[in-house]
Amino acid sequence: MDGVELDLRAHEIHALVGENGAGKSTLANIAFGSVKADAGTTQAVGTVGLVHQHFELVGRLRVWQNVLLGREPRKGWLIDASAARARVLDLAQRNGLPIDPDALVDELPIGVQQRVELLRELERDPAVLLLDEPTAALAPAEIDSFFTTIVQLAERGSAVMIVTHKLQEVISYSKRVSVMRHGKIVAQFETARTSIDEIARAMVGGEVPHVAQRQKTGLQPCVRVEHLSAGTGSVAIQDINLEVRAGEIVGIAGVEGNGQTTLADAIAGLIPYAGAIAVDGRIGIVPQDRNREGLVLNWSIVDNAMLGRQHLRESRRGPLLDRAVARADAQAIAQRFDLRAASLEVAARTLSGGNQQKIVVGRALLGDPQFVLAYQPTRGIDVGATALVQSRLIEARNAGAAILLISFELDEILALADRVLVMYRGSIVAEFSGQGIERGRVGELMAGARAS
Amino acid sequence: MRNATRLLGGPLGAIVLAFFLAAIAMLIAGVSPVDGFWALFVGALGGRQQIAETLVQTTALLFPALGITLAFRAGLFNIGAEGQLVIGGLAAGALGAHFVAPGPLAVVVLLAAGFIGGGIWGGIAGWLRARFNANEIISTLMLNFVALSLASYLVSGPLKSAQAAGAETAPLPPQSWLPVLIPDTRLSIALLIAIATAIVLRWVLSRTVFGYDLRAAGEAPEAARRGGVNMPRMTWLALSLSGAIAGLGGAALVTGVLHRFNTQLSPGYGYTAIAVALVGDLNPLWVCVAAFGFGILEAGGLAMQALADVPKDAIHVIEGLIIIVLAARRYIATRAEGAPI
Amino acid sequence: MNAGSSLIATLVTLTLIKSTPIIYAALGGVISERSGVINIGLEGMMIGGAFTAVVFSGVTGNPVIGLLAGIGAGAVLGLVLGLAATIFKVDQIVAGTGINLVAAGAAAYALTLIYNQPGASPQVNALGNGFWVLVALAFVCAMLLHVVLYETPWGLRVRACGENPRAVHDAALNPLRLRVAAVAISGALAGLGGAFLSIGEVNIFSDGMTAGRGFIALAAVIFGRWTPWGATGASMFFGFFEALQYVLQGRVGWLPADAMQAVPYIAALIAIAGLVGKVRAPAADGVPY
Repeated sequence: MDGVELDLRAHEIHALVGENGAGKSTLANIAFGSVKADAGTTQAVGTVGLVHQHFELVGRLRVWQNVLLGREPRKGWLIDASAARARVLDLAQRNGLPIDPDALVDELPIGVQQRVELLRELERDPAVLLLDEPTAALAPAEIDSFFTTIVQLAERGSAVMIVTHKLQEVISYSKRVSVMRHGKIVAQFETARTSIDEIARAMVGGEVPHVAQRQKTGLQPCVRVEHLSAGTGSVAIQDINLEVRAGEIVGIAGVEGNGQTTLADAIAGLIPYAGAIAVDGRIGIVPQDRNREGLVLNWSIVDNAMLGRQHLRESRRGPLLDRAVARADAQAIAQRFDLRAASLEVAARTLSGGNQQKIVVGRALLGDPQFVLAYQPTRGIDVGATALVQSRLIEARNAGAAILLISFELDEILALADRVLVMYRGSIVAEFSGQGIERGRVGELMAGARAS
Repeated sequence: MRNATRLLGGPLGAIVLAFFLAAIAMLIAGVSPVDGFWALFVGALGGRQQIAETLVQTTALLFPALGITLAFRAGLFNIGAEGQLVIGGLAAGALGAHFVAPGPLAVVVLLAAGFIGGGIWGGIAGWLRARFNANEIISTLMLNFVALSLASYLVSGPLKSAQAAGAETAPLPPQSWLPVLIPDTRLSIALLIAIATAIVLRWVLSRTVFGYDLRAAGEAPEAARRGGVNMPRMTWLALSLSGAIAGLGGAALVTGVLHRFNTQLSPGYGYTAIAVALVGDLNPLWVCVAAFGFGILEAGGLAMQALADVPKDAIHVIEGLIIIVLAARRYIATRAEGAPI
Repeated sequence: MNAGSSLIATLVTLTLIKSTPIIYAALGGVISERSGVINIGLEGMMIGGAFTAVVFSGVTGNPVIGLLAGIGAGAVLGLVLGLAATIFKVDQIVAGTGINLVAAGAAAYALTLIYNQPGASPQVNALGNGFWVLVALAFVCAMLLHVVLYETPWGLRVRACGENPRAVHDAALNPLRLRVAAVAISGALAGLGGAFLSIGEVNIFSDGMTAGRGFIALAAVIFGRWTPWGATGASMFFGFFEALQYVLQGRVGWLPADAMQAVPYIAALIAIAGLVGKVRAPAADGVPY
């Protein structure tokens, strides 16, 4: 980050936008005080509160324990639990955020968990409230109620900053917008006087790269899932039936936490399941979390290219690894995915998120598998890498692969998928296909509205 | 792939610190560090006998250290090398007392018995971890105590030698002894076997599919799991092999040094070997060097005690401090989720 | 009848005596792990406590001073581990192992240095029948720890540290300081357990007298699901087996003494194996913040 100057005013919602890796979260953390800046100062008239993108709650404690951690009401040496509960209830009511103070945070749906984190910050009566990607895990209906609260807060006098990449929300709710790119603030707008396009262009610094076109293909079934049930608790899936045909992309739309991971793990054969999964051909898998599940960060690109393929007959000479094959694979990925790295022997850890993701996706597509399971394939990567990954997926589709795309970004699903299945609480609740899929309707179903 | 600066910052730095602390220990004991270190080095390297003895200690440490290295690289913490070594030695000693066969065959069989015995002992902990997710730190340590009890019971009872006065197995017939490397010393070709094991281990880790899987399991367990590595099987295999190598070391002590088994076989080699593995940066070839360094400490320590009046337990304090200092690097990948502890 | 009831009485008494040091160490293990630090060094802290208690009791002639010194020694070792884990961010397991080796080596070293006899110290003034106070105190400590962990603000914050230290940081608290305190207390408890061994149960320190109890205590922590009362119960479970071994030894001739010694360790093995799946350590256990 370099020479950033930003001021947040009371009674105002200020949006901070930028593509992934631009530095938005870092800036928010510096403003909050959890990260130290190398130079410069942060001044605030009053306390600053920060609601993280990935909640920092203590799952195994109750709501009131999380909200009042560090400020627990006391009765002598002990905690006064009933006073604590009352205080949380009062706070929740005043801010229009209904909550059960005794609930265990782990057992709450994600939208409600966010309320807990918000309450925790509000408890301290902050003059400035920072929100990092607050609606990332919310269904459309929850987003509306969330913004009602935030707007009220701003009206009462707080200065609110929202870090987001959802430009529609920026237009609807903010008063001013700052755009970050590569660690600098490159533009500032009065929201009323700008447009989504102008903001998007400022974010990318030019034209948005476009994605390959979908072409018509023949439709032979490749993957059949019947009466699939797996998992336990709030992320269990029940009686899932779906089919993916060769040459199509089926998108699973849904808010995070509705069983998508369980579904992906079952199809990948990582967890036990009941029901039938039939795949006609080889599977390539793009896991959700490239750092933990996709790469060995200390290893080179070459070694990582081999992961998942090391047992194949082509990759080995008896008990020995055939390094030449690994190198060839890595080179193929590098070429096809425009990998930017000093050499193929550098550690994966040194690469940017986009390049790391290219390795993971490239590896999944190696050898042109018949079925590709892509789980959040463009999570946390820059716009250029996103366009590239999406293009390669579409090209695979055009060449006849069956692709199951799981993503929490509805826009991505709508842009890429031929058919859209909506997942809610472990079941498929609706299916959409063809042109003109109604975004609003999908959103409602993602939030649990009744399928008609 | 690990470069020299990393070594300098880590293991070498730790060794320097250790010597510094040793000097302080000597001062406390009222001995001048110069005298103390001189006694140490003379005791370890001052003559043919001394060098041979140092190499004997090196060998004794190298086997369990290699086993621990293998386990560490797989993300597993094996502090049961002591027990695995004892069981390996017990197997060799028990079998050796009664096994009659021509020279080379007898030795090979006894070493194999030690390898298998240690492998089974390590395998128990491996199975407990693979099947029940039972923490291997606790299980391998508990097994150490069980091994000692078992050995103690067997050599005072069923396996007790009719010829010997104390609790030990019958002496091995000479054809079952490991050939001596340096005449008139205790040093056998076990040293060469240990070094060969190190070379094989290095080769397995870097060139084979199994080694690839093992390293993946140790460095990124979730990625390894999705990358086709059978994690429970790898856990069990890694701990079994780790125990087997340590057991081989026990058998080497029995066939090469003591020529019988008793409960005094190991003065804690399995524990010191942890420090050896860490100083060797978990790289089999560097572990050989580290084992030599510690061999000097062990052999020289006795001499230091005799000549300069510094109790040899000071060596163990130094070894423990080295471990703490080297703990600054993360040797074990974040444990897989759900693993107790 | 009389022989039978005296056998039971012996068994109960011995179980209490044998459980006590494990209970102390296990309680230490609970508070450490709840704060997010794996304390593998409990064994070393027990050794430190046992040895220091003997030394100070020998020097001053007062076993209570020895006891306090033992607690102090354990606390110091706990502090070392705590600082290593938080400020220096070292691998906690490796550091704990190092502490065990250092404590064992230092005790043996100091034995020769101070007393000029390797293996065991001379006899010192011990607690005599006062050691029953320590036995009762173990259970009092369990109750205290329970109350502190679940009912006090400090306990809540410590528990939060073990699950999500970032949340603690966000609450304007210092998770590192909380962890160091918790680990220091765990060391003190382990030191107390060790002191019980050396000047409570007997009146000397001998090399290896802790015999892996620090690790059995860890098994008790897991077996007891990381709760104070659970760990106490589990410790008594292991103490029972140790007591059983003693009682049976004299009476059942054909059971070899050496083999019997293995029983508590085998019990620990079975205990940690018997928990499939459902066991969940504090989420941030072992992860440096």
